[in-house]
Amino acid sequence: MTQIEEKILEGLLLDEGCSLTLADLSRACASHAEWVIELVEEGILEPQGREITRWRFSGPQLRRAQMVRHLQDDLGVNLAGAALALELIEEIERLRSRLRRYEPGC
Amino acid sequence: MEFKDYYEIMGVSRDATQDEIKRAYRKLARKYHPDVSKEPDAEEKFKQIGEAYEVLKDPEKRAAYDRLGPNWKAGQDFNPPPDWDAGFEFSGGGFTGGAGGADYSDFFESLFGGGFRSAGGYSRGGTRSGGFRMRGQDTHAKVLIDLEDAYRGAVRHITLQVPEVDERGHVVTKTRTLKVNIPKGVKEGQRIRLAGQGSPGLGGGEAGDLYLEIAFKPHPFYRVEGKDVYLDLPVAPWEAALGGKVKVPTPGGVLDLKIPAGSNTGRKLRLKGKGIPAREPGDFYVELKVMTPPAANAEQREFYERMRNEFEFFNPRSALGV
Repeated sequence: MTQIEEKILEGLLLDEGCSLTLADLSRACASHAEWVIELVEEGILEPQGREITRWRFSGPQLRRAQMVRHLQDDLGVNLAGAALALELIEEIERLRSRLRRYEPGC
Repeated sequence: MEFKDYYEIMGVSRDATQDEIKRAYRKLARKYHPDVSKEPDAEEKFKQIGEAYEVLKDPEKRAAYDRLGPNWKAGQDFNPPPDWDAGFEFSGGGFTGGAGGADYSDFFESLFGGGFRSAGGYSRGGTRSGGFRMRGQDTHAKVLIDLEDAYRGAVRHITLQVPEVDERGHVVTKTRTLKVNIPKGVKEGQRIRLAGQGSPGLGGGEAGDLYLEIAFKPHPFYRVEGKDVYLDLPVAPWEAALGGKVKVPTPGGVLDLKIPAGSNTGRKLRLKGKGIPAREPGDFYVELKVMTPPAANAEQREFYERMRNEFEFFNPRSALGV
């Protein structure tokens, strides 16, 4: 069964310039705000703005938070372990991206 | 429907202990976790492992599954015997199916779909809370675009395979095609969120979101790193030695580039701001590659010989000590 929609959808580009509140981030991670605050305290997320009510998160920070959520839920790692895995994953992505410059298609 | 051998999927024997099953699951989950693994079928494998673990970790479900008997083979045509689950009292929540149910195979649903589901397994997005009102799951898809699309923006058709639960409780796969605007300036790995385009919610709950991850199709001559774009540019020996203006293709159109006199293979030239456009656009880097024309006839051979005599002092291997 095929369903074709004609309307052109405009999404939100989750780039550096994107500005998400604590509520936006919590909702997108299906988590409590306390959990997001823990991520900030752990240094995994670095929002713009001083007070919590003024915190603003970028698109890449949302991705980090969601990856931590998945790592915690699926693999049972704790926050520090998830943070470490996240940094290693990001390092591998940087290296892969650099490798693609020399070996396209990898 | 096909029989699924959960023991085979987990790589354990039928008499494995609960601890062995847990260890096998942890190991496989790390290997095939979609955020970690680069195996092409990681997501599918991860789902299968989650489903197998969902059954084998729970002694009641495992016992019920074992009662089907050891003679079934993976992939064999299967229909559950009418009273296969008689005598089992499944614990766990009473409410199941719907958006969360889309995660599991037909086989799983036919055995365990009706009565229970505990949280966990491959459940993502907003499905972790219980209750009758549930937000639909977030879904993810990759979109391959041309590099030129990132320079100009584009509308792309995206076809998704969406598992849905029909009114009889069966999982059916539907094809859904969306038209999505790809904004100018997107980069590899960036995501676009389409609110409300994920799995439908339950009991009046809102739908989940669809996340599209951008990837570029490999290009025959451009290479991309972040927002910068790289090109190997072939030049003639006289263009490199004497300098001059040459045409350079970029994904945004053809540009003129001034080659400084005395250039050589490997020289990098930067066209500032001609990478992927953005508020702070990337740069376009050109690396020169000197190409020598073949000596195809007598005059051309003579010309190369004259060059050899003229440049007698030139040893391209002097740095190698030979």
